[in-house]
Amino acid sequence: MLTRNRLRLIRRRLLQIVPVILLATFVVFGLQQLVPGDIAVTLAGDNATDARIAEIRTLYGLDRPFFVQYGSWLWGVLHGDLGKSLLSGEVVLDSILRRFPTSLLIVGCALTLSLAVGIPLGILAATRRGSRIDAFVTGIASLGVALPNFWLAMLLVATFALNWNIFPATGSAPLSAGVGDALRHAALPAFALAAGGIAEVARQLRSSLVEVLSSQYVRTLHAKGLSPAAILWKHGLKNVSVNLLTVIGLVFNRLLGATVVIEAVFAIPGIGSMVVHAAIHKDFPVIQGVVLALVVIVIGINLLIDVLYTVLDPRIGQQ
Amino acid sequence: MLKFHRRDFLASTAGLALAGRAFAQGAPKKGGTLKVSANANPSSLDPQTGGSGSDHSFLYPIHDTLVDFEPATLKALPGLAESWSNPDPQTLLLNIRAGVTFHDGTPLDAAAVKFNLDRARTDPRSNIKGDLVTVESVEVTGPQQVAIKLKQPDSALLLILSDRAGMMGSPKAMQELGKDYDRKPVGAGPMKFVSWNDNEKVVYARNDKYWKTGQPYLDGLEMQVIPEINTALRAVVANQNDFVYFLSPQQKPLVDRAKSLTAVSGPTLYCVILFLNFARAPLDDVRVRRALNHAIDRESFAKATMAGLSEVATTVLPKAHWAYDPALADFYKYDPDKARALLAEAGHKDGLELHLIGYTDQRQQQRQEVLQEQLRKVGIKLRFSTFNIPEGSAAFFSKAEGNGLLSQWTGRPDPSLTFTLLYGKGSYFNSGRAEASPEITAALAASRASPDIEDRKKAFSVLQRHVLEQALSVPLLFQFELDAHNVKVKGFKPNLLGKPRFDGVWIDG
Amino acid sequence: MSKTLVRIGKWLRRDLRAALSLGFLLLLFALSVSAPIVAPHSPTNQDVNDMLQEPSADHPLGTDDLGRDVLSRLIYGAPATLYASFLAVSVAILLGVPVGLLAGFLGGWVDDAISRVIDTLLSFPAIVLAIAVTGALGVGLTNGMLAVGIVFSPQLARLVRAQTLIVKQELYVDASRVFGASLGRILWKHVVPNAIQPVIVQITLLLAVALLAEASLSFLGLGVQPPQPSWGAMLARAYSYMEIAPEQMYAPGIAILLTALAFNALGESLRVALDPTMKRR
Repeated sequence: MLTRNRLRLIRRRLLQIVPVILLATFVVFGLQQLVPGDIAVTLAGDNATDARIAEIRTLYGLDRPFFVQYGSWLWGVLHGDLGKSLLSGEVVLDSILRRFPTSLLIVGCALTLSLAVGIPLGILAATRRGSRIDAFVTGIASLGVALPNFWLAMLLVATFALNWNIFPATGSAPLSAGVGDALRHAALPAFALAAGGIAEVARQLRSSLVEVLSSQYVRTLHAKGLSPAAILWKHGLKNVSVNLLTVIGLVFNRLLGATVVIEAVFAIPGIGSMVVHAAIHKDFPVIQGVVLALVVIVIGINLLIDVLYTVLDPRIGQQ
Repeated sequence: MLKFHRRDFLASTAGLALAGRAFAQGAPKKGGTLKVSANANPSSLDPQTGGSGSDHSFLYPIHDTLVDFEPATLKALPGLAESWSNPDPQTLLLNIRAGVTFHDGTPLDAAAVKFNLDRARTDPRSNIKGDLVTVESVEVTGPQQVAIKLKQPDSALLLILSDRAGMMGSPKAMQELGKDYDRKPVGAGPMKFVSWNDNEKVVYARNDKYWKTGQPYLDGLEMQVIPEINTALRAVVANQNDFVYFLSPQQKPLVDRAKSLTAVSGPTLYCVILFLNFARAPLDDVRVRRALNHAIDRESFAKATMAGLSEVATTVLPKAHWAYDPALADFYKYDPDKARALLAEAGHKDGLELHLIGYTDQRQQQRQEVLQEQLRKVGIKLRFSTFNIPEGSAAFFSKAEGNGLLSQWTGRPDPSLTFTLLYGKGSYFNSGRAEASPEITAALAASRASPDIEDRKKAFSVLQRHVLEQALSVPLLFQFELDAHNVKVKGFKPNLLGKPRFDGVWIDG
Repeated sequence: MSKTLVRIGKWLRRDLRAALSLGFLLLLFALSVSAPIVAPHSPTNQDVNDMLQEPSADHPLGTDDLGRDVLSRLIYGAPATLYASFLAVSVAILLGVPVGLLAGFLGGWVDDAISRVIDTLLSFPAIVLAIAVTGALGVGLTNGMLAVGIVFSPQLARLVRAQTLIVKQELYVDASRVFGASLGRILWKHVVPNAIQPVIVQITLLLAVALLAEASLSFLGLGVQPPQPSWGAMLARAYSYMEIAPEQMYAPGIAILLTALAFNALGESLRVALDPTMKRR
C-alpha cells in the first residue's frame, strides 16, 4: 500500500506545505495590518477613553512592530499554541476543534448528496448522449451552477422550515446529541450547498465519460462484442475515476468556502461564521488559526487525492 | 404556518406597544431551565474587563450589585449594600448586607468589597477605571461597612455601583485564576457559572445559597448565542429556546401570531442618534446643527424603521426616566422650512454635503436610506461611508473621520455619565474632543454635585436645555425593547436599561 | 471585421442557446444604460405609507420595506451588477494573464515560485479570501470586486500558464526562436492566439462566478452600499422580512439566476464553438 513512490510523494508534498502555510498566514496577517486600527477599540468597548485604548494596546502587545507580532505568533504555533481569542479569551485551538465538526458535517452531507445524485446523473447523460435526458441533465447542471446558494437556502427555509415545519430553520446539533437530530439540522444547509455540487459533479463526469466512451479503445471493445453495461462498468468508470477524484477535491474545497454564507443564513456556529466574526473584529489569533487550519485541511485533501490517484492509476507518480 | 397578510403587519404594529403582562401569573414554582436566545457573545464574564453593552444580561445572573435599581425608572434601591449614607459630601458610606457568601463560599464582607473596588480602579486590565475616577480611596470601617472617599462630591456614584463597578466577585477566585477569571467568574448572584463555549452557549446553575430566600426559582439558565435576530426568534418559535430579547419591531406580528409566545415590550434608554462632530466645519455652526434637528421627520423615521415600537426622541433621555424634563419635549419640531432658512442663514443656501459614517448591517442601512431621503428634501446631501460596527465606531470616535456617525447610544446607569461621555470635553465619544460651552461644563459638574434627587432633577433640566440649545447631536428615537417568551415563562419584567434580567423568573408548565 | 460578424451571425443561427443567452445579456445591458428612461419610478423614492405592498398596476412587482418600487430598483440594480462582474473579471485578467504567461514561458524557478503562490491562493476558499480582502481594503462595490478579482486571478493564471506550456512545446515556436524572433513577438504571434480560446471561455464562466460573488458579498453587507440598489442587497433585505413578505425574495433572486445562467450558457456555447476537436460531436 505505502510503496516507496507513494512515500516519496507524501514526503515531497509535506515539505511543500510549509512554505505555503507560511505564505498564507503571512499574507493574511499582512492584510490585517494594512488597515490602521486594531482590536483595542473594541476591547475598550462602552467604557472607552483615548487613554484606556492606548493602555490596552500596550497590554496586548498590539503596538509592537509587525514582524515581532507575527514572529511571536509563529513561535507559539511551533509549540502547538495557537493563542487565545483577543475578544473572549477562549483558546483558539479549542474553538476550532469545537466548531470544525459542525461545518464538516454539513460539507460532508453536501458532498455525499453531490456524489449520490451527481454521479448517476452524469452517467445517465453520458450514456444517452444527445437525447432529451442528456439535455435535461445538462440543463439542471447549468441551473445548479448559476443558482446563488444563499438564495436557495432562503427558499428552502421559507418552504420547509417555516411553511411546513419539517426541518429546523436554525442552528445545528452535534453528532453527540444524536445522529437523527444532527442530520435534521444539517439537512437544509446541506441541500442548499449541494445544488452547486451536484451540478459540478454531473457536468464533469458526463464530459469525461463521453470522452472515454467515444475513444478508439472503447470502440474496439464494442466491436469485439462486449455489452454496453460491461464497457461502462469495467472500462468507462475506471478511466474516469481519476477525473472524478479531481472533481471531488474541487467540490470539497468550494463547499468549504461556500459554507461561510450558508452559516450566516442558518446561524450555524461553524468555522465560517467564526472567521467572519473574527475578521470583523480583527481578532487576529482566531483569524490566523482558522486560516492555518483551512490551509492544512485543503492541502491535506489534495495530498490524499494525489495518493489516491496512484492507487487508481499506477502509471501516475512513477516519474 | 406563519404566513399572513402584510396589511396585518402594518396594522398590528401601529400605535403604542403593550407593557409587560406581569399580573395574575400565579405563585412561583421552583424548577426548570430557562433557555434564552442571546444576541451576542459576551466580551468577558468579568465585569471589570469586559466592554460591551450586551454583556450585562450574561453578567447579572452571576454578579449581584452593591446597589440595585428599579426596573421602570432606574432609581437606586438597596442591593448587596442594604443601606448607605453621606456623612459628608465627599464620603459615601455603604453598609454591606450580612451573611452573604460568594459561590465559592468566600464571605462577602467589607474587605471583599474593598478588594473589588480597588481592583476596578487600579488593575491594568480594568476597563472601568473611568467610572471610579472621582474615588480617592476605599476604606474598611467595620466588618460590614465600607467608606468610599471622594476627590469631589459625586452623586452619580450610587448608580454607578448598580452597574459593572458594583458587581462583586470573589477575591479568592480572582487571585487564584488571574486572567482566566474572565472565563470562570465567581459572584454572589442567583446563578453559578458552569461553562462558556465561545459564540455558542453560556450555562448557569442555581445558587442554592442565594441571599434572597426562596430564590432563584430556576434550576438553571442557558444563554445560547444567536447573533442573527430572525434566527434567534425562529429558535423560540420552534420551541428550541424559551426566551428571546431585543427583537426588531418588524418581528412583532410574528410573535403575536405564534400561539405559544407572549410579547413583552417597554421603553429603554437605547437611543438611535446621529452623533455630530461639532468642533469641525460645517457642523461647528450651531445653525446648521439646529437645521438638522428641524429637518428630520422623526415620526416618519420611526414609522419606517421601527414600525411604531419606539418613542420619538428630542433629548437623550426617554420619558420614563427619572431625570427627564417634560418641558423640553417639543424643543425641535419637524419644520423643513425653518431648516432651510437656518441653512441659508449659515451660508448654505444652495445646499450642503455631509460625510457620515454608518454601519453595514441591514437595519442600519435602512435607517441611512430614510435619513438620506429626508435630508435631501432640505438640500442636505448625506454621503455615507459604511463599515462594520467596530471599525465604524473607531473611525468616528477615535480617528474623527466624518462629520457624524449614525449609531445608537445604549445608555448609562446614571444620566450624568451619558451627558459627560457624549458632550464632555475630551471624552472619547465626543468626536471633536472640544468643550461644547462653559455653561455645559458647569452644568455637567452641577448634575453630580448634590445627592438629593430633586436637586439633581433641576440640574439635569438646566443641562438638557443647554445641550438642546447647542444642538450638539440629533437624537432620533428610543427603541422599545421587544422580547418574546414562551407562555410558560413567568415573572419577567423588562427594565429601562434594555438589558434583560432573569431574577424572579419561573417556569410554569 | 465584417467576416467575423458574418461568422458570429452564422453561429448564433445554429446555436439557440448562444442566441438566447447573448440576447438576454444585450437586453440587460440596454436596460442598464437606459434605466432612467425605462424604470417607472425612482429607485430611492420612499413612501412610508406604502411599505411592502403587493404587486399592483402602479408597482408591477410591489414595493419594498421602505415603500420603494421593486421593479425600478431591479432595473437600477442591473448596471451595478454588470459593472461588478466586469470589474472583477478585468482585475482577474490584468493580474492572472501576465502572471500565467510569465510562468509558462520563463519556466524554471520563476515558474516554481509563481506556481507556489498560485497554489497558496487556490488553497483558500474564495469567499473567505474576498471577505478578508474587503476587510483590509474597506467595504464597497469597487473594493469588493477588486477582492473577487484577486481571488479569481490564480485560476486564470493557471489556465494561461498551461496553455503557454502547450504552445511552448510546439515545434514552430522553437523554429521561430531559431530564426531569432524576440520573446515578445513569440508571445504575441503564437502563444496568445492559441491560448485565447480557452481563456475566453473561462472568462465568460468567471463572469457568472463574479456575479454570484458580488451577490454574496452584498448579502453579507460588504458589497454595494446604499442608496445604490443591488440585487444581492435586495436579497439581504428580503431575508429580514422572510416571514412577512416572502415574495420579496423572488424578483432579485431570479434576476441573479437568469444573468448567471446567461453568462454560463454563453460560455458553454463558446467552448463548443471555439474548440475544433469538439466540433465533431
